[in-house]
Formats: sequence, C-alpha cells, structure tokens
Amino acid sequence: MRHSARLLAAAAVALLPLSASFSAPALADPVKGGVIDVATIGEPPTLDPMASTADLVGIISQHIFETLYTFDKNWAVTPLLAASLPELSDGGRVYTIKLRTGVKFHDGSVMTSKDVVVSLNRWEKIASRGKQAATNITSIEAVGDDAVKITLKDPYAPLVSLLAFNNAAAIIIPAANADQDPMTTFVGTGPYMLKERKPDRYIQLARFDGYSSPAGESNGYGGQRHQYLDEIRFVPVPDASTRVEGAVAGQFAYTDSLPVESFDRLSSGKSEPVLLKPFGWPVFVMNTKEGLNSDIRVRKAIQAALAPEDMLTAAFGSKDFFSADGAMFPKGYVWHTDAGTDAYKPEGDTEAAAKLLKEAGYDGSKRLRILTSRQYEFHYKMAQVAAEYLKAAGFKVELDVVEWATLTQRRQDPALWDIYITHSPFLPEPSLNGFMSDSSPGWWVSDLKHKVVGAFNAETDPAKRAKLFEDVQKAVYEEAPIYKVGNFNALSAKSPALEGVTPAPWPYFWNAWLKK
Amino acid sequence: MLRSVFNRLIGMAIVMAIVVTVVFIIVRITPGDPAAVMLGPEATAADIAALRDRLGLDDPLPVQFGAYVLDLLRGDLGTSIFLNIPVTEALAQRAEPTFFLTLFSLLIATVIALPVGVLSAYWRGSIFDQMATTLAMFAASVPSFWLGLLLIQFFAVRLGWFDTSGYGGPGAGFFERMHHLVLPAVALGVVSSALITRFTRASMLDVLGDDYVRTARSKGMGEARVVIKHAFKNALIPVLTVIGLTAALLVSGAIVTETVFGLPGVGSLIVSAVLRRDYPVIQGALLVVAGLYVLINFVIDMLYLAVDPRVRF
Repeated sequence: MRHSARLLAAAAVALLPLSASFSAPALADPVKGGVIDVATIGEPPTLDPMASTADLVGIISQHIFETLYTFDKNWAVTPLLAASLPELSDGGRVYTIKLRTGVKFHDGSVMTSKDVVVSLNRWEKIASRGKQAATNITSIEAVGDDAVKITLKDPYAPLVSLLAFNNAAAIIIPAANADQDPMTTFVGTGPYMLKERKPDRYIQLARFDGYSSPAGESNGYGGQRHQYLDEIRFVPVPDASTRVEGAVAGQFAYTDSLPVESFDRLSSGKSEPVLLKPFGWPVFVMNTKEGLNSDIRVRKAIQAALAPEDMLTAAFGSKDFFSADGAMFPKGYVWHTDAGTDAYKPEGDTEAAAKLLKEAGYDGSKRLRILTSRQYEFHYKMAQVAAEYLKAAGFKVELDVVEWATLTQRRQDPALWDIYITHSPFLPEPSLNGFMSDSSPGWWVSDLKHKVVGAFNAETDPAKRAKLFEDVQKAVYEEAPIYKVGNFNALSAKSPALEGVTPAPWPYFWNAWLKK
Repeated sequence: MLRSVFNRLIGMAIVMAIVVTVVFIIVRITPGDPAAVMLGPEATAADIAALRDRLGLDDPLPVQFGAYVLDLLRGDLGTSIFLNIPVTEALAQRAEPTFFLTLFSLLIATVIALPVGVLSAYWRGSIFDQMATTLAMFAASVPSFWLGLLLIQFFAVRLGWFDTSGYGGPGAGFFERMHHLVLPAVALGVVSSALITRFTRASMLDVLGDDYVRTARSKGMGEARVVIKHAFKNALIPVLTVIGLTAALLVSGAIVTETVFGLPGVGSLIVSAVLRRDYPVIQGALLVVAGLYVLINFVIDMLYLAVDPRVRF
C-alpha cells in the first residue's frame, strides 16, 4: 500500500508515452543561477557524439553540441539549428534545409552553411547512423550562407530523424575542427560548453553566454532552451548501490539509472523518485544467418515457448515497473499498433512450441546458445527464466554469460550465438532500430522484410508511414527475427530543489533550475 | 653484499620482463573489443573493423608486442584508446587518491593493529585477547566494499558527515579531497589491520618467551619497558615485512574500494580500462603495480641484508 502511494507520488514526475511523455514541469518561477551535480553510470568513452551510439555519450554531449533537428514531446521532428523543417522536392529526393542565422559556436565564430556541409560529411564518415544514411546520399551542398541541400538517390524518409538523433549524432561543429578524429576540441553551439573534464571525476559544463536558442515554447528536446543553471557537472558513479546512497543522501541533484528495488528508499526527503514509464524494451535478437535460428520454424517455436510475463517478473519484480506488451511501440506513440501481436503470448504456449519444434525436425542434439551479460542484471534474469521455458518446449539450452565488452564483440560473429539479449529505449523513429538494417547483428534479410521496410522508408507522408509500420510489425512477428519481451520503466532520482527537469530517455538539464 | 644486490636486480629485471609478456598475452587473448565498446551498441561490423584498423589492433600480435616493448624501452607506456592521453599521464592524474588512500589505510591499520597485537600477546588468553582475536578474524573475513557500503549508509547518508562518493568537484582543495578519503581509508584500514594484528600478536608471543626478556625482568626492569623496549622492538622486524607487503597489496587491493566510493584512483582506472578493453592502460597500470610490488620486495630484501649480514641471495 505504502509502495503504491509512493508510486502515485512519483507519477507527478513520471514520464508517460507520447501525450503524457515529457510531462510539463511543475509551475514555479524559474530562478537563474546555481550548480548541479548529476550522477551518471560511469565515464563516457568519448564526448564526440558522432563517434558513439552509447546513451551516456548522448546524455552529456547533447548539452554541448546541437543537431539540425531534434524531437518534440510527441517525438515529432522539430528544428534546432535548422530554421524550419526541410523543403522536399524531386519526389522526396532533395532536402533543402534553411539554417538559423547568427548562431554562435563556443569559440565565438558564427555557424554558416559551410560548417554544416563539412560536419555532415564528417557524420557520413564517422557516425554509424551517418554511414547508414550515406549509402543513399548523393551530395551535400551549401546553398548560400544559410541553407544546405541534401540530394538522395532514392526517397528516404528516416533521414530527418537520423539528423535529429543525439547519438551517432549529426552534430554541427566548426569546419576547422571537422578533420579531428578522434575529436580533441569540443566546440559546439549548445547551451552549455565544456569547461573542464577530469576523467572518472567530473565533466564540468558552464553556461554559454553567446547561446542562440531556438524560438517557441519549450517542447520536449525542442523549442526554447533556457540556461538557468550556471553549471552542470556530470559525476561518474559506476556502482549502482553507491548511486542509490548518493541520491538518498541528497548529494546529487539528479541521479540517473537506479535499480528499481531502490524505489522505496528514494522518498527520503532529500530525494524524489523519477519514473520514466515506459522507458524501453528488452529484446532477444535471433541469429537468422547461421545455426538453429536460421530456420524460421525454430524461431517461431522460440516465439511460442517464451513466457514474457514470468521473464519480466523475474527481471523487474513488481508490475509497477513493467508491462507485458507485444506491440513494438507502446500506446500513445504514433507507431503503436497491435498488428501481428497475436503471436505474443504473455504466459507462453509450451505445447504449441513443442509442436512447432517437432515440425522443424529439431532432435535436441544442437544447443540453443543464449548470449547474455550480467552488466544488466535484468538481461541475465530474463535469460534464466527463458531457458527453463525453452527447455520445457524441448530445446537443449546453453547460457553463455559473458561481460558486456565480450558480448559486443561476440555478437558480431554469427558462428558464436543463436540469441543475444539487449534492450533499447523506445526510439522516435522505427528505422533507428537495429533489426531494420540488414547488417545489424541478427542479420535479418528476407523478401518480405525488404518489401515492407522499403515501402516504409520510401514514404514521406507521416500518416501513411504510421499505417505502413503495421506491415513492418506484422513481418517481425511472422518471421521472428527478434523477440520483444515487453515494456519496462526506468528509475532515476532528483533533489526536491531541482525543478524544470522533464523525465526523458536521455535526460537534459537546460530548462532546469534550483529552487531557492 | 654487492653481489647479492646485483643478483636481486637481475632477478627484478627478469620478473618485470615476464610480467610485461604475460600481461600483454592475457590482455590480448581476453575476449572483448575496445572498438566495439567505443562505438556503442548500434555500431556495425564494418565500423568496428575500420576503427580496429585505425587503432592498429589488427596488426599481428608479434608486431604489436615488438612495438610495445620498443615503446617501453623508451619509457613510453602508450596512449589510452579511450582517454586519448598518454598512459603515464592517466596514471599520474590518478596517483594522488591512490597514494593517500594507501597511506591513510596503512596508518589506520597500524594504529589499530600494533597496540591490539601487543596487548593481546601480553594478556594472552584473557578476555581482551579473545575479543581481539575474534574481531581480527571478523575483520579479515569482511569484504572492504561491504564495510564501505555500511560506512556510507551510516556516516554519509544518516549523519551526513561525508559525501557518499567522489573526490571533490572543480576547485576542491587538498583538505576537501582528503575528506573524501576518510571512509574508504577506514574501510580498507580496518580490513588490513586484521593481518597485521595477528602477525604482531604471534611475533610478540615468540619474543616474550625469549631468554633476554626473562633476563630483563629478572634485572627488575619495569613491565612497560620490557614489553616496549625489548620485546616489541624485536618483534617488529617480521611485522614490518607484513606492513610493507600490506602497503603493496593496498595499492592494487584498493580497486574495489575505489569503485564503490567513486574515487578516481589507479584501481578504478584499471577497472574501467578492463571493462573497455583499453589495452595500453591495462598494460601500463599493471606494469606499474607489478613494479611497485617488485620494488617493495627489493627494499625489504635489502633491509634483511642490512639487519642480518648472514643473509645472501
């Protein structure tokens, strides 16, 4: 009961999908000034958001660097350094992007179309999402000082979302720094600039006085970006237990990524829980290229055998922190659809799985290898429950438990695994998900996929794209290249004195202020 | 004596050469790829291959080892893949917290262990001795990170006397930084005190039964003087060896404690380097730690030579 009451209290700062996501900050008069410490899960591998897809890199660097576009509270693309949404011509092959004028870099220089062209060229070379886009980009040219033109081989609707994303990000930097790889000069246009970095100690960002904010009311990552705080310091606290104690003691203004078991302790008076509901989805990626799972019938048997309700209970405990939902995007997202989800059985269907496995001719001699890690304990717990259900269906199962660096290497080799476990936040654009690409580990390639994904990517009308995503989801359930386990929530904590923080998958602190 | 010193130096060089080779091989055969970690979860195989090529990770292992040894001979430990700074600089940045944490832990350990060990031996079989022995057993069994978390809960969360983690923000002065070391030093010091207590007690028990102690007493010397001046002084020689080895152990043994307390020391550098497969940092840090071990052992050996001229190596 007490737990539920606290959850209700947390709902005041909880993020709900879409309509309720990016819930409005409490109404109070913002106060300028102050310094906040933000506890993060560790030291980022780099501060160059082009060079990494790690969420931690995006969380920190989004305060320093900006992209042409970003996402509003409804996950719609909205201009950031661009003056407006792109003008499309030649059947969706040419994107003309007008730039905001007078935008300054932290070194005092003014952004021009030349900086944008050179930055996007760097993005094509360095960033994984840039490389993905580059296969379809014919040219990127300056049009005068304040516009750029991107010409594509074929219509490619996800381009603007790729330009808006904050990791492997198409950040705009001064042309003079674009040759740096790795980046050594961290100069962007963001509301905060890098003041000092002491690895494993802190990353100190200070307000950029020459900042030029987008116009309009603050809206998700878009709209006006206020700079109330003097400084934001990101402090790595890799041990989760120590992060919890730091939050409870009130040492940090914001503490990211806490174990859900700590929820009750976070209402200490010096901290408040921040529940991001839902945050993301755990996923079992099937190796469709080699081994057992190259047979679609085996994948369908796995799909029938797994019991997500039990797997999620083992992983997250209370239903307050998860929901068994087969839809690839939760309710409220424009992409939400139940198409194809009949195959998702919350309780599992062992009999059906055993039958499918028999039809596939599986004789139990080959082991089904599940590659997982304890870096994320919930991955491991789900793997343990999944293994029991798969055994019940007739599989011979082997859990290959390695640490995360080993997993990221092994998953690149199709000879080493049949399933690997990962998770993702709900991304604003379906094409940003790994399974949509042919080359992502899992290597899902089929005629059906190419037909539905091709149509989805070529369509530029948002309403028609939402409809076309139904076909994509149906294909995912029909061919089972991945298994979405469900939705889970993320827990963070904030100081009661910190206002203006909107719970988000990649928390940001422009617009935040400290109560006096 | 000079020959003994020379032999010891040759032995040290051989040990370090073995350490360099073994660490290089272990690091390279461990699964995991710095390029994959650096590029993040969505990186493609092609991206990873390109970065591996740029970092020189695809060169044959003998080529990589040859280049590494040549750099070492020039005093270059390499450049961190992730931090993009020389390994020596990364180690230097993290030397302060590790040095002072080791120093304070050792101070706490010896301040607890020496009097408790001496009194425990002197009052052998008493309630004090039994309690001290039990507590030493308990301290030896307690993991320092667990004790650290208890200390955090009580002194940082409940009483608010300390920060739960970190080493001070920008502009933090020397004393503020040292304030952050109090709890981790207590956690490490208490655990380390167990071994020193047991050695002190055993060593004191040995000497308290010796003839010269009996002679001193029979001459009418006061008990305090007998115990401190005669017995303790002689019992201290093996205890000093243990203290020296504990110091070496603390330099590397602080790894978990540094991680729990979020201290930017050599220990946490090694942990993050291992998780990221930052080969140059792992190799450089382990080499320095191994070097410290070898050096401390060398100093201890030299002390033996000085104390007892009969000793030969």
